[in-house]
Amino acid sequence: MEQLVELSLPNILGAEKEAIEKAVTVAEKMGFSKDRIEDLKTALAEACINAIEHGNKFDQNKRVRVTFSANNNSLQVIVHDEGDGIDPKKIPKKRVRENGFPCRRGYGVFLISNLVNEFYFEKIPGQGNNVKMLMHLNG
Amino acid sequence: MSKDIKVSTSHKGDIAVISIQGDVTAVTGAVIGNAYGSADIASSSKLLLQFDKDCYINSGGLASLIDIASEGRKKHQKIHAYGLSDHFQKIFHMVGLTRCIPIFPTEEAAMKDLK
Repeated sequence: MEQLVELSLPNILGAEKEAIEKAVTVAEKMGFSKDRIEDLKTALAEACINAIEHGNKFDQNKRVRVTFSANNNSLQVIVHDEGDGIDPKKIPKKRVRENGFPCRRGYGVFLISNLVNEFYFEKIPGQGNNVKMLMHLNG
Repeated sequence: MSKDIKVSTSHKGDIAVISIQGDVTAVTGAVIGNAYGSADIASSSKLLLQFDKDCYINSGGLASLIDIASEGRKKHQKIHAYGLSDHFQKIFHMVGLTRCIPIFPTEEAAMKDLK
């Protein structure tokens, strides 16, 4: 993977827009379809929001780093926070309440997992956490 | 950046309409919630959510819409939506929101079903 660009975002909600704009530029240049770019925009936004809210816990002294890398077939986006991160085991699995309504929260990781080809969490001791997302050009 | 939202309310016959343009997020969801809470909208038995095709919706915004759907169900209010981009229609389906807020391809189709 060749690293294309790295962004350092302030830890405030709304900062994810800058990452989304960059993602669009990179993905268009690589030849991703419009539908796949929309998927990437939502997945990246949710990863950034999770980093701001759950990783860095709204601490404005912390940053969110977003790194775009690519090869001929895939785009990799890493969202890094400086906090303790999310314990994947604690992510609620339940999506529907007893009354048949969708649960109110907890869709970030659910959306990411449904919109990118591969994703995983990576804890870096003493440094924070990465969410790595991979989008394949052919699927 | 996330505060870019325009929400307006109106009536078309006995159908209350909330028109939404811009970013639907945890922050701006309160604007939609306030519009929904206004007396004339809250008391209507039929509600149409009219989204601009360029609306951006994140998980925080979905939570706000789920709140509205939940309130609507308590009041036996029928809620429909139209105008969403293909992508956000897919997201609505993915999270199960279409079970409580069905999406229609046009305003006419949504209005017809509400009547």
